[in-house]
Amino acid sequence: MSKLERLLNLTALLLNTERPLRVDQIEQMMEGYPSDPASFRRTFERDKDDLREMGIPVEVINTDAHDQTMLGYRILPERYYLADPQLDPDELAAMRLALGAIRLEGIAANETMRKLGGSPDAAGLTDSSSMALASVPAPPELAPLYNSITERRRATFMYNGAERVIEPHRLDYQRGRWYLDGFDHLRQDRRSFRLDRIDGPITMGEPGAFEPPERTAGQRYDPWRYGDDPPVTARLRIDPSQAPLSRDLVGSEATWTDCADGSAEVEMVVSNRSAFRTFVLGFLEHAEILEPQELRDDMVAWITECVA
Amino acid sequence: MSARITASDRFRRIVSIIPWIAERDGPTIDEVCTRFEIDRADLLADLDVVFMVGIPPYTPDELIDVIIENDRVWITLGRYFTKPLRLTSQEALAVLAAGNGLLATSGSDPDGPLARALAKLQRAAGLDDSGSLGISLGGVDATRLELLQRATSEHLQVDIDHYSYGSDQNQVRRIDPYRVYATDGNWYVMGWCHLAAAERVFRIDRIRAATLTEVGFSPPTEIPDATSYTGSPTDRRVMIEVSDRARWITDQYPVESATPLGDGRLRIVLSVGGDAWLERLLLRLGPTARVVDPLDDGVDPAVGPLMSRSEVDQIMSSIAQRMLAVYR
Repeated sequence: MSKLERLLNLTALLLNTERPLRVDQIEQMMEGYPSDPASFRRTFERDKDDLREMGIPVEVINTDAHDQTMLGYRILPERYYLADPQLDPDELAAMRLALGAIRLEGIAANETMRKLGGSPDAAGLTDSSSMALASVPAPPELAPLYNSITERRRATFMYNGAERVIEPHRLDYQRGRWYLDGFDHLRQDRRSFRLDRIDGPITMGEPGAFEPPERTAGQRYDPWRYGDDPPVTARLRIDPSQAPLSRDLVGSEATWTDCADGSAEVEMVVSNRSAFRTFVLGFLEHAEILEPQELRDDMVAWITECVA
Repeated sequence: MSARITASDRFRRIVSIIPWIAERDGPTIDEVCTRFEIDRADLLADLDVVFMVGIPPYTPDELIDVIIENDRVWITLGRYFTKPLRLTSQEALAVLAAGNGLLATSGSDPDGPLARALAKLQRAAGLDDSGSLGISLGGVDATRLELLQRATSEHLQVDIDHYSYGSDQNQVRRIDPYRVYATDGNWYVMGWCHLAAAERVFRIDRIRAATLTEVGFSPPTEIPDATSYTGSPTDRRVMIEVSDRARWITDQYPVESATPLGDGRLRIVLSVGGDAWLERLLLRLGPTARVVDPLDDGVDPAVGPLMSRSEVDQIMSSIAQRMLAVYR
């Protein structure tokens, strides 16, 4: 019997059973496993791991109140089955285009589409000229953190050399990076974390551990806002050659004023001075920090030092 | 049969196909193939396996009943495989990322079929609907993006007025756009540049104006992968020494090589996109970065031609003067 057939039969058995089945019962009932007990056990363990890796909820349940070692396996139908989302053909088609256009790295879009049911008319939309518009990275922290948001589990991880216990609220992909936003028990405040700076593994707490916040609005992770320097409002002049290209760069929180000569004046709150400097340097000689004097002086000193 | 597909791949496919067929009254083989994007031979091979699947004691009445007749297929199921497998959290994330990402891209219909599909999936698949996943692919003018996408799919040449980050100049050029994409937080168009007579990648937010022409072009048969930067073999190269704190540049810049010096410092070689590009890099790195001179510092000639320190110094003192003049 092929491995594929064995995996299908094992899943059918565990889905169909009314009560958890012990390993010896499975060995007795199923066909296609090696008869030697040691190799049966090895093969069974491997199959079980393969099923779990595919997202199949194989549960281990204690079958004897008096003996903790009496474990049984089953798959609860309500945890296995996807309720039919009843997508209309145009909705299925739209979803299919979206999954083709924006890909989360490492996830096969066609597997997902296959689960969504629907009529065959919605297919056939495969447009050979359509290529992925965007590929969004999926770092290893992403799925566990998403689960902890939906299941309201606290997440514990090392960040900037300190252990953080976070009630995770939302994930944002911006400017090519992933950010986690949540309540930080260490700082007793809302904080944002860059996923690529999380150090080591993430430990999840129990589900339902906290109340979700009010629907959290997305925030802009502008680098110059992303720091602990005392906030100051900086005023920046961008000259006419760069102003038309810069509106999106300054973020939606900035106040933008078009000037008569085609230049623009922008007011923005800065709480990370080195990130602000990096941002302004990107304009070369096409921008000037007008205020505050302190940031002007910093900039002049930095440029002078660069060529000293 | 398609090459190299694992038992797990086939398993996933089969447990999605079985309930779909079982719910319908004998769809044709072709309908199943179309819906699941699968070859006829693959589907028939999968159905061959399904014939053998069931529960103990595996007598005929305990096996899944598959009937193929007149090119139609019927499946009768017991109490298992009656619905597809739920979405894995990775798949749920992919659905949300694709859906939210596309809806957030300017020009999409907030009440259209995609939004409705997401709402249904949020109800059926328990996808989180508290708006806890935000995807922003990059700020871009919707009209310009649409024009470039149209030019790409209809193979029409476009004239663009583009600000070059490398040379700090605006230039009008004609391009054959063959790919539009977002990566690392920015939108790009890739195509053949008639001015440079070479393939180039342009950031769409640095295009000041774009005009669609009626001149067609033939795209190359092999379109390169999405990338945020294409170097050119004629680019100059520079070697710099940076401190440990400036290691981020190896993530964000196309670094040719990076050699640790042992004291926490790093020697890196970069291909220089243009004077303005080098100016920005060195200004941002600041005093902690040091340009390595190929002769003075005795660099192994095998590294290849590098810019000299005096050449770089000249560029930097000129930009410093121009910038300091702004603050005077």
